[in-house]
Amino acid sequence: EGVPLDDKPIQQYPWIKNRDHSKQLELSDWLTLEIKDFINYISPSIAEIEARNNAVKRLRKEITTNLWPDCYVNVFGSFATDLYLPGSDIDMVITSDSGKYCAKSYLYQLSSFLRSKNLGVNIETIARAKVPIIKFIEPRSKIHIDVSFEKTNGLRAAERIQGWLRETPGLRELVLIVKQFLAVRRMNNVHHGGLGGFSIICLVHSFLSLHPRLITNSIDPLDNLGVLLIEFFELYGYNFGYDNVILSYNPTVCYLKKEEHSYLGASNTFALAIQDPDDPSNNISRSSYDIRNIKRSFIGAFELLTNKCYELQAASYKERLGQSILGGIIRYTGKERDFEDA
Amino acid sequence: NNCPDKGKMRNSYCRVCDSRAHSSDRCPTIWRCYITIKTKDKIGMPQIWCYNCGSKGHFGDECLQQRSSRTPNLNGSSFSGGNLPKSLRSQYYS
Ligand SMILES: [Zn+2]
Ligand SMILES: [Zn+2]
Repeated sequence: EGVPLDDKPIQQYPWIKNRDHSKQLELSDWLTLEIKDFINYISPSIAEIEARNNAVKRLRKEITTNLWPDCYVNVFGSFATDLYLPGSDIDMVITSDSGKYCAKSYLYQLSSFLRSKNLGVNIETIARAKVPIIKFIEPRSKIHIDVSFEKTNGLRAAERIQGWLRETPGLRELVLIVKQFLAVRRMNNVHHGGLGGFSIICLVHSFLSLHPRLITNSIDPLDNLGVLLIEFFELYGYNFGYDNVILSYNPTVCYLKKEEHSYLGASNTFALAIQDPDDPSNNISRSSYDIRNIKRSFIGAFELLTNKCYELQAASYKERLGQSILGGIIRYTGKERDFEDA
Repeated sequence: NNCPDKGKMRNSYCRVCDSRAHSSDRCPTIWRCYITIKTKDKIGMPQIWCYNCGSKGHFGDECLQQRSSRTPNLNGSSFSGGNLPKSLRSQYYS
């Protein structure tokens, strides 16, 4: 209650520039409009989309005409599902009918090809990992690219996610917000125990598919993004039974009890378990060991958003002017983007 | 021990929901506010899953099993029979 209403600089919340929602009667509507503004703001411009597409096209053409004519160069991950944030990597995979490109020698062949043709800089060849990859920066677009070999599970996942996005309004918006929220806190890197893109998508998709108002068609999710975002943090911050419950697809969204499906991870221990819809014996989130901190950060997000609502509810119209609700949990610190272009 | 918030909590009362879990100026109805769709079609009971025990047939807020999460749910959440349309609520609670 004693917190002063500060007029935070617009640089930190650039999406509120020229977008004032302080006269909304309901704070949930204000937050909904702010979420839409933010999504607009971070969505790639035409120039960014073209730079990414051209980088992929160029690499595909070079590799399939001048190196390995029998291979396919595919993209998966956030690039393929259109769920990427500015500056995200592009995930690429080389596949073939024979499956021969999983041999280590091809890894080195490709990295020297990229080097000699100036197709990549800062090339790193990671051969010892469980999934060997080449990481590099595409010099014209400056985009980071990861290339893996003969792994098709990412392609199947991307196809599935594209289907979910078509049939689940609100999924794209909430996923991008949660992604940005976790990215700012460096909790989105699976190699450091964070939540990967697919896990984030599953959390949001399960939430939207089980919500009482949505399973009864009593609300349109796109009109209610604000309250749904707060309720997402409420579910996974406060209430979800991480010790007992598995997120699952059988064939549609459901829960499973850990004690009955112990193969998906240690039974009745505090850990996120998401059954891979393409491989029921695989737990997508098995390496997200930092889930305790992630849960804590979701509680923090819930508290920041709801406290801001209580504060603004009590504030005068003048005090509400220029305020941001979403700014409590999201920062955008990249270079300023052109709104009109978005 | 001199925490003013604690004292406030004990005396809090919300006129909106007739609850002692929070005060009126911190009432969840301030943000838990939906733009609803008006439909005349009668809807059947959907499949409901419990976030606490993973069972089918009830929401986590109404779970009879011991609460798994160590963080309390003082005000109730969106995953409750109270968040179903009126026409389904009596069926759900019976
Ligand atoms: Zn209340
Ligand atoms: Zn239960």
